[in-house]
Amino acid sequence: MINSKDLRPKDLGMRSDEQLIKLELDQLIPLLAPYDKPGMQSQLTDPKPAWKEKYCTTLDGYVGIGTLVRPKTKEEEDEFVRSFLRGLEKIFSDANNGVLQPLLLTYDYCAKCDTCSSACHVYEATGDNEMYRPIFRSEVLRKIMKKYFTTSGKLLGSFVGADIDVNWETIARLGELSYRCNLCRRCAQTCPLGLDNSLLAKEIRKIFSQEMGIAPTPIHAKGTMNQLKTGSSTGLTKAAFLDTLEFLEEDTEERFGIKLKFPVDKKGADILLIHNAGEFIAWPENPVAFAILMNAAGLNWTLSSEILGYDSVNYGLWYDDPMAKKLAVGQMKVAKDLGVNRMIMGECGHAHKAAAVVADRMNLADGKIPVESCFPMFWDIVKNKRVKFDPSKNNFPVTLHDPCNVVRQMGIVEPQRNVVKALCPQFREMAPHGTENYCCGGGSGFAIMNDANFPEFRTQIASRVKFNQILGAFKDEIADPSIVKYICAPCSNCKGAMRGILEHYDATEKFNLQYSGLVELMVNAMVDLKVPFFEFLEEKE
Amino acid sequence: MLLSLIAYLSIFLFVGISVYKAYRFANMPMHGRMDLYPIPKEEGFEHGGSFYEESEWWKKPHKVSHVREITEMLKEIVFIKKLFENQRPLWWISYALHLGIYFLMTWTILLVIGVFSIPIGVDVGSLSVWGSLIYYLTVLTGIVGLALATLGAGALFLRRMFDNTLKKHTTPQEYFNLLLIFAALVTGIMTWGTDLSFGTAREVTGSLITFSSTFAATTLQTLNIILVGIMLIYIPMSKMSHYVGKYFTFHKVLWDNDPNLKGTAIDHQVQKASTFKPTTSWSAPHIKPPIAPGK
Repeated sequence: MINSKDLRPKDLGMRSDEQLIKLELDQLIPLLAPYDKPGMQSQLTDPKPAWKEKYCTTLDGYVGIGTLVRPKTKEEEDEFVRSFLRGLEKIFSDANNGVLQPLLLTYDYCAKCDTCSSACHVYEATGDNEMYRPIFRSEVLRKIMKKYFTTSGKLLGSFVGADIDVNWETIARLGELSYRCNLCRRCAQTCPLGLDNSLLAKEIRKIFSQEMGIAPTPIHAKGTMNQLKTGSSTGLTKAAFLDTLEFLEEDTEERFGIKLKFPVDKKGADILLIHNAGEFIAWPENPVAFAILMNAAGLNWTLSSEILGYDSVNYGLWYDDPMAKKLAVGQMKVAKDLGVNRMIMGECGHAHKAAAVVADRMNLADGKIPVESCFPMFWDIVKNKRVKFDPSKNNFPVTLHDPCNVVRQMGIVEPQRNVVKALCPQFREMAPHGTENYCCGGGSGFAIMNDANFPEFRTQIASRVKFNQILGAFKDEIADPSIVKYICAPCSNCKGAMRGILEHYDATEKFNLQYSGLVELMVNAMVDLKVPFFEFLEEKE
Repeated sequence: MLLSLIAYLSIFLFVGISVYKAYRFANMPMHGRMDLYPIPKEEGFEHGGSFYEESEWWKKPHKVSHVREITEMLKEIVFIKKLFENQRPLWWISYALHLGIYFLMTWTILLVIGVFSIPIGVDVGSLSVWGSLIYYLTVLTGIVGLALATLGAGALFLRRMFDNTLKKHTTPQEYFNLLLIFAALVTGIMTWGTDLSFGTAREVTGSLITFSSTFAATTLQTLNIILVGIMLIYIPMSKMSHYVGKYFTFHKVLWDNDPNLKGTAIDHQVQKASTFKPTTSWSAPHIKPPIAPGK
C-alpha cells in the first residue's frame, strides 16, 4: 500500500497485486452536524477475499466494473493489454470523429496547474487523496499513449513522461479509475485553458466498452442492452408498462379521488412526454404527479408505449457512443412516428442532456422533433396561473438540488428555482448552487452501479460533499425530527443517490429528511388536491 | 547575416507553425455538442442559463452577444481570469510570466519602430514627440517585461520543483520548457540590461532586420538571439502553444451551443458529416456483429 500523499501516476503500473491505496474514514472530510458526533458514521470496509481473486481491487479496494475479471492465462492477460492499446489508438482515429477535436485539445494542452482539483467533489471528499485528482487518470492515459504511440515517447521515454509499466494491473486499475469520476464537468468550469478531464475519463470507459466489451453490468447488460431488447433499462415491457399505468390510474383515484387517465400513443398530440422508466418502478408518484398537473393545465400531451418510447434513459452517454446514438435515434423515431410537435423530458438529468444536447447532432435537422425540458413548462404553468396553487401546503423547509446535466450542461437554471420559490415559503438554496452546484454522487451511472462494494464508494465518498450541502441547507432544523425537511431532487439518478445517502445515514428515520422531485411539490400545492400528495405529510396529520 | 537569418526564420516558423496548428484544429471533423455553462454569449440568460430555459425555444431567435463573448475572452487573455478566480497563488506567478511576455512582445515591436524613428546616438532631448514616446515606451516595456517574465518563469519553475503535488505530475520535458524560457530571458537581461535605454538593443535590431553585413555581435548577444530563436520555434511545437488551443476549447467546444435546426449552418455541417464513412471500427461484440459461420 502506498501512502496516498506519495502516489504518482506511474505507480498505477506497479505489477504488485497489492491495493495501491486504502481510504479511511478519518481521512475523509468531516460531515456537518449532527453527523459530526462519534458513532454517527460507519467505517469503510475492506474488499472480500473472493473479490480480490476475481476482480480488480488493487486500485482502492472498490469494484466498479463487475465484468472486469482477472485473466486465467498469460495469453488472456496479453490479449487484454493488446486490446486496450488497440482501443487507445482508435480513440485518436476517425472511428472517434465525434469527439476528436475536444479530445486532442485536452490531451495536448494540460498545463498541470492543478486548478481543477479543488473543483472536484470526489477529491475533496477523500481529504485531497492524490488518486482522485482530475489530472491523475488523465496523466496515466497520456503516459501509456506516449509510450506506445508517439515518436517522442519512443525516442525520449521518461523525459516526456512515457515511464509507466503497462500490464493487466495497470489497465484494469485505469479502467476502475475511470469509474471514480461522476463526469459532472465541474472541473472543466475552472480550467484556465478550457480543458475537460472528465472527457478523458469517459474515453477510457469507451475503450473498455467499445473495444474490449467491458462495462459495468447495471449500465450495459442490464441497462442499455436490456433497453434495446425490452424497451426499458428496467426490463419493463410494453405490456407491463400499460399494466402499470392502469394500476396507477386506479391507485390515484383511490388515494386522491382523481379520475386520472394517462394519454398513450395519442397521434398528433402537442407533447410527447418521456420519463425515465425507473420512475414507474421506484417512484411512481412522479409520473402520476406529471399526469395530474398536465391534465389540470389542459395540455395536449401523450406518453408512448412503443419500444424506446417510454424510457428516456440513455446510459450510452456515460460509456459507449454507438449505444448512445442507437438509443437517441430510436427515441427520436418514436416521436416522429407519433407526429408530436415537441418532446418534453421528464425529471431525468442525463436523459435531458442525451436527447437535447448529445443527440442534437446525431439526427438530421430535417424532420427532427425539438426537445424541451419539463422545467420551463412547469414555470409557465405557475407563471401563467394555468393551475391554482396554495403555497401554504408546502410550508416546510425545502432545498433544491441542481442536476449537473440540467444546469451545468444545458443551462437550465432559473425555471425550476422560480417554481420552488413561488410554491415553497421556506425554500433555501444549497451552497454553492446553480451552475456551480456539486454532483449528487450518483452521476454517470454511479446511482445504479451496485456491483460488490461500489455502493459504499458512492454513498460515503462520491455523495459526501452533497450530503454536507444538504446538512448545511437545513442546519437550523436538522436536529428536530418533528420538522419535515425536503430535498427537491428533480432527476431520477439524483434521487437514486439521495435514496442511497438517506438510507445509509438513516437520515429519514432519525431527522425526517425526505426527498422527491419538483412536480410532486407542485401537485402537493394544488388547491384542487384535497389530501396531501406526500405520504410523509399524511402520517403527520 | 546568420543571426538575421535566425531571427527571421524563428519568427516565420513561430507564426507558421502556430497558424498550421490552428488550421489543423479548425479543419477537424465536426464533434458532438459539449456545452458547459455559463456561456457568456447567451444573451438574456446572464445568470448562466441558456435558450433551453424557455418553452418552445426553437420558435424564438437564439440571441447571441458577441460583445459579451469577446469581453469574456479578453478578460481571459489579458488577465487569465479563471486562474485568478480559482487558484490565486499560482495566478500571481503565472500572470507575471504572461504579462511579461505581452510587454516583451510590445517591446520588440517598439524596437523595430524605434529603428526607423530614433536615429542612432541622438540625444533624447532632441527627439520629436513621436520619437520620445517610442523611446520611453521602449524603456518601460523592456524593463517591466524582462523583469516580470523572468520572475514568472523562474517562480513557476521553482514552484513546480518544490510543490509536492505539482512535482509528481511534472515530466522532465515540462521543466525543460520553463528552463528554456528562463534561459532566454536571463541571457536577455544580461545582454540588453547593461543599457537600459535599450539603444544597443535598437541598434542590434536594426542590424538584424536589415541583414547588415558590418554588424558583429558579441558572444552574449549571439547566445541570446540563438536561444530566443530556438524558443520561438519550439513553443508552437510544444504544449506551450496553448494560445492556439485555448481559442478552440472555449469557442468551439465549451461555448458552442448552436442547435441543429433546419437550414442553419450546423444543419449543413451535420448533413456533410453524416456521409462520412470511418476507416476504423470498434471491435467489441455488441458493436461488431459476429461473423457468420463459413464466411
